[in-house]
Amino acid sequence: MSDIGARETTPGDQGKAGLGVTQFTLEGRCREREDLVAELARAPGTRLADFFGDVEEGGLVLRLVYAIESGERAYKMLDWPVVGGTYPSVSDLDPAAFVEECEIYEQFGVRPEGDELLNRLVVPPHAGHEFPRLGAAPPREGREPHAPHYVTGEAFEFPFGPVRAVAQESLYMGLVTSGEEVIDLYLLMWHKHRGLERRLRGMSLGKALFLVERAEGLSAVANSWAFCRAAENVLGVVAPEAVERARAIALELERVYNHAAAVAALCQATGLSVGQAQAEIALEELLRVNLAAFGHRYLFGTVAIGTMGRPLDEEVLSRQLPQAYGELRRVIESLWSTNSFMDRLEACGIVTNEQARRLGLVGPVARAAGCDMDTRRDHAFGAYTGSVVNVAVRERGDVLARMQVMAAEAEESVRLIRELARVGPPGDGRADGAGFAAPGQETAAGRGGSALGWCESPRGESLAWLSLDPAGKVRRARLRPGTFRNWRAFDDAARSRNVFTDIPIIEASFWLTVAGFAR
Amino acid sequence: MTGASLGAGGAAAEDRVAQRLHDARAMFGRSLHIRTVDTGSCAVCESEIRLLLAPHYDLHRLGLFFTPAPRHADMLMVTGPAVRAMDTALQKTYAAMPEPKIVIAVGACPLGGVYPEDELAHGSLDRVLPVDVFVPGCPPSPLALLQGLLVAVGRLSEKVSGESFVGSSPGGLDL
Amino acid sequence: MALWLFRGLRKGVVTTRYPAVTDPWARGLPTPPAFDERLLSRALADRLVEICPSRALAREDDCLVLDVGACTACGRCISQSAGAARPSRLFELAATGREQLLKRIAIGSGEIVA
Ligand code: SF4
Ligand code: SF4
Repeated sequence: MSDIGARETTPGDQGKAGLGVTQFTLEGRCREREDLVAELARAPGTRLADFFGDVEEGGLVLRLVYAIESGERAYKMLDWPVVGGTYPSVSDLDPAAFVEECEIYEQFGVRPEGDELLNRLVVPPHAGHEFPRLGAAPPREGREPHAPHYVTGEAFEFPFGPVRAVAQESLYMGLVTSGEEVIDLYLLMWHKHRGLERRLRGMSLGKALFLVERAEGLSAVANSWAFCRAAENVLGVVAPEAVERARAIALELERVYNHAAAVAALCQATGLSVGQAQAEIALEELLRVNLAAFGHRYLFGTVAIGTMGRPLDEEVLSRQLPQAYGELRRVIESLWSTNSFMDRLEACGIVTNEQARRLGLVGPVARAAGCDMDTRRDHAFGAYTGSVVNVAVRERGDVLARMQVMAAEAEESVRLIRELARVGPPGDGRADGAGFAAPGQETAAGRGGSALGWCESPRGESLAWLSLDPAGKVRRARLRPGTFRNWRAFDDAARSRNVFTDIPIIEASFWLTVAGFAR
Repeated sequence: MTGASLGAGGAAAEDRVAQRLHDARAMFGRSLHIRTVDTGSCAVCESEIRLLLAPHYDLHRLGLFFTPAPRHADMLMVTGPAVRAMDTALQKTYAAMPEPKIVIAVGACPLGGVYPEDELAHGSLDRVLPVDVFVPGCPPSPLALLQGLLVAVGRLSEKVSGESFVGSSPGGLDL
Repeated sequence: MALWLFRGLRKGVVTTRYPAVTDPWARGLPTPPAFDERLLSRALADRLVEICPSRALAREDDCLVLDVGACTACGRCISQSAGAARPSRLFELAATGREQLLKRIAIGSGEIVA
């Protein structure tokens, strides 16, 4: 059992450059910023990873986060103060930004120039002006995210949700169909909005972390690690090496169990009940490995600032993991040779490479569409800086390609866990003289500042941007789980020449959560 | 603390719950059907509920089944902090269920932990529905869920009332 | 298909025998705290109330009130309690009344009285 502590460094010695986040240095007026945004939208190997609002003393500031993935490989941020209640459209240049523009409108009441209609995201239709938001309410709420469908000829609209099948998250799906073919599909997600970013304001870091991991419990490790990395950067805390290794092990365990759950859901959606039962056996065994290794089936509370919230029992990894993962591998191998299953997956729910890039997708959905990206490799952090991460990429972009990516990733995760566990005896990262920083302990007082943190969740790149006030409380925390990016491709995938019985299959292959989108 | 919300009723409320449970159980010599509703969970409670159907727990062996149709449901399992945006959907589902019906609150969220009562969430399910069985946990493991279900149908007696959470608790797992 | 039939046979073997027998792995589940009232002081109780992220603890005069329902078994109070709290190891927590989950723990002198 590792006894792991936090080590503090002087603030200067691990500055923002240490995490690879720099600010574009641009002192200028709006137009110049617009030129830079246009240039970045064209630049190869540069991707707009996030875009959000932040109310500062001087008014609303929009923050754009770019991931630079050729050459220097870094995240860079661009601040864009809003003057005069509007800003030049970012989505005109970079279509990936449209959902974020809708979000900024809904939360801060500020819209891009032009008259493009913006969609409703998380504010319910019956909500009024006083609905709690991050900033001021817009003069008019966003439109419903679907054009009115005139039911002509054969097509009719099939409403589904928000209460859906057994133990599924609340989600409303509006399905326009001719009886079999999907003509259009739209999703309403406001049912699950809990206002997390708003709740985080003014919280101590310990309490904020508790909510961050509950934003999307199925990515608890990834999201809380991204948040902790941002916090550690602001505080000038460096997590010891043993802590970084244990975190990476937790993150890979999270990936393996999520991919197992996706396989079980795929079997269920295709009606392969024996396969489903076998995949669920693997899933349950993997959750028990999590419990034995870290003390929580879903790894809640594992990541803490500068330390481990739950100690790792490394022995479990060699004792129980091979058997549990073996179950999963056997199911997947059997599935590859089950024609009735494979036939349903092939050419189903296609996301093209062009769509993936244009919409700014991340994770397995993007990798299955030929986007070779993974923050563990491209923006290596923590224990990944010393490891080679083999990234699985497929080209077809269909459900089968996504399942192949997930299968390869689970295999790679188990290999990484073996490698990480072999590196050294537990406890060698013990800090000299530093006390055990328990998760509830507040260490943040006296330092303000902001930083970005990132991580690779089972659903792709997870980002967290954190700004602390001088008292060490959260001034603004932005959470952008991978889920938030990938839902925007779901309707395209569902429309790609599919019959509507394919929708559960596509949903299983995306393996997203509503919780992470609606936050 | 959610204790504040419990003041009203007292003994009368307890009688009402006992009566409801009694009514419901009287009918449940047969198999029982469960409907689930998510009112803002983090998706993990759903994952544990789904696993009740997995071979490790095999809920069917206990005569318990899930149903997607509220009209066939005897029991409503609710996760999440009762987000207000789900009010209508939740009430509709509840109203569509035939009497007698049992409501089970699953996890710390609908039991008043995690989220406080505010403009976005009721923060506790018993503010909007009469809850018959409370299952703590974040998430409650499938075994804890099984216990909750068996308590709800009267096949297992509740244990927690007898526990003081002081010193060494005699009912702990080491027995 | 023969492959699936064969694999299907393993299914019955893994099923839990709960409630007749409790699975051994359940020992590792996170559980709400149990308190040693002799080690609790008002000041310590107040600190634990402040630490709890789930509003599961409150102090009422000389009682620490634990709301087992709101508790997420996150372990924060245990790690900050200097030995006054430890995992209760109770996981069968279902209750038919909300108030049955409210546990009042009398606060002692803050030191062990022999
Ligand atoms: S009780 Fe815990 S696990 Fe369940 S939905 Fe709430 S936060 Fe998630
Ligand atoms: S375990 Fe966590 S949620 Fe439960 S009382 Fe302690 S601090 Fe609160």
